[in-house]
Amino acid sequence: MAEYFTARGLPVPLELRRNPLTDWRRLTVIALVLLVLYIGLKITNIDTGRANPEYVINRIALLFKWDFSIMTPRDEFETYMDTAWWKMIETIFLGIMATAFSFVVALPLSFLGARNIMTGNPITAAIYAVVRVTFTILRSIDVLIVVIVLLAIFGPGNAAGVFGLAFHNIGVMGKLYSEAIEGIDAGPLEAITATGANRLQVVWAAVLPQITNPFISFTIYRLDANVRLAPVLGLVGGGGIGLDLFQSINLSQYGAAGLIIFMIVVTVATMDFVSAQIRKRLV
Amino acid sequence: MPPIVSINDLVKTYPGGTRALDGISLDIQRGEFVVLIGLSGSGKSTLLRCINRLVDPTSGTILFDGIDVTTADRAAIRRVRRRIGMIFQQFNLVRRTSVFSNVLSGRLGYRSTWRTIASRPTSSDVAAAFENLGRVGIADRAFSRADALSGGQQQRVGIARALMQKPEVMLADEPVASLDPATSHSVMKYLEEINKKDHITVVCSLHFLSLARRYGTRVVALKAGQVAFDGKPAEIDERRFKEIYGEDAEEVEIGPDRPQPQPLAADGAEQVDPSR
Ligand SMILES: Nc1ncnc2c1ncn2[C@@H]1O[C@H](COP(=O)(O)OP(=O)(O)O)[C@@H](O)[C@H]1O
Ligand SMILES: [Mg+2]
Repeated sequence: MAEYFTARGLPVPLELRRNPLTDWRRLTVIALVLLVLYIGLKITNIDTGRANPEYVINRIALLFKWDFSIMTPRDEFETYMDTAWWKMIETIFLGIMATAFSFVVALPLSFLGARNIMTGNPITAAIYAVVRVTFTILRSIDVLIVVIVLLAIFGPGNAAGVFGLAFHNIGVMGKLYSEAIEGIDAGPLEAITATGANRLQVVWAAVLPQITNPFISFTIYRLDANVRLAPVLGLVGGGGIGLDLFQSINLSQYGAAGLIIFMIVVTVATMDFVSAQIRKRLV
Repeated sequence: MPPIVSINDLVKTYPGGTRALDGISLDIQRGEFVVLIGLSGSGKSTLLRCINRLVDPTSGTILFDGIDVTTADRAAIRRVRRRIGMIFQQFNLVRRTSVFSNVLSGRLGYRSTWRTIASRPTSSDVAAAFENLGRVGIADRAFSRADALSGGQQQRVGIARALMQKPEVMLADEPVASLDPATSHSVMKYLEEINKKDHITVVCSLHFLSLARRYGTRVVALKAGQVAFDGKPAEIDERRFKEIYGEDAEEVEIGPDRPQPQPLAADGAEQVDPSR
């Protein structure tokens, strides 16, 4: 192949000049990856010794012997508020409240983080940059880390969970909203301005119709994501049904744990389906 | 009669340093159909947008019916704007909303902010919206989403929206540049109709000289921000054409005026002849 090019005095394409079997760059990369994996095996020392097949099947089977006693108060000290189904509802509302908090904060901030609105003069351009960097920082810190840090402020419970979720989520929603605003078609704004409308009327007639559906769609998508995350918060002390799941595993109550997992799966799958259906209609 | 629009030594320099308009002087009389021609970048869009102050001129004056648009305050500009309709190459409709609300929004300049926010158009505005949609032949599409319409239909919605203002002047920035030839004529004929029947002064930029000849009562050619020609369409001969468009340019004809048989039979509404 390469002769075709050399015969005509053309430069030989890179792909033809290198033999994949002898190219030292490729071989180095492969060797490095293998080295990292080898070191990884040594350091993490993954021990699966306990999990012989029989034992695994046994345990999984226990997860399906659902213990329905957790659905009703188990003794005179428990009320319906200690039951698993109530905890599940509480967990769903953790996600809803976190979404609501982030919505309230992200909505106004997203306008400050939209390039087409803010790059008019140096001051607003600086605000734009700060807002977008803030969104990125908020987004980059994992929810569980934030919840753990918030334990120091609120102690274990729903407050740490809700605000931990909201903290991360403000970054995500802010970015999505800002990008929706940046995607606005300026043509209708110009046309409505040309009719003699004032600024508020222009926003009302030309901006809002362009952003409401994307905003609703993004909010539902984040609600879905937050309800999905909420059951995990309890594992680090952020409230909700996650704590019950954690405890039942620790106490070897596999029947209870299995039922809780099942409830979580049903909730998440339902949310996922409903959210997808709604968003499909909002295009 | 004094001119409806009187432009004197208008200059527009954009922040980047581009001198888009370089001393334009132009009087437009009531009832004229002025066609702006010129290469792209010659300043047609800028000139049109200076008239309703969508663009702030750098120097010079523009009088609209005796009102100095260049020095008027915000409220005064809005009052001038509602007397000037405008349509655009890209139609500039709010795509997600209905044809009807798009047309209705042409009336915003006359209505209070609270009425806008409360979505309570007056019954006379609603009636006018249907009347204007009927005039451009798409009353039956009133409650379709704007982006469900064809290009020609969208531009007619744009015309109906502008008509809601009961304008004295209609600015049109390359209104048919995104349309095919047959549809172009159907849209241009509505402009011709509102010019002749409603006596609305039209200032319209066009890409094709053939359209300018067919519809304009006067042609103004811009070249590098200056007026290179101003006169009757018939006065543009070979030599003037090359002055405006450059030595290498060739004149092209755009489509048949009255397409027969009609090539767009699939879209019957496109063929409505407003002069009937
Ligand atoms: N918003 C703008 N900022 C900077 N330069 C612009 C802007 N709009 C137009 N121009 C420049 O001004 C000149 C005239 O443009 P325009 O009025 O759009 O011409 P036309 O409509 O005849 O194509 C062009 O050189 C164009 O690049
Ligand atoms: Mg232009």
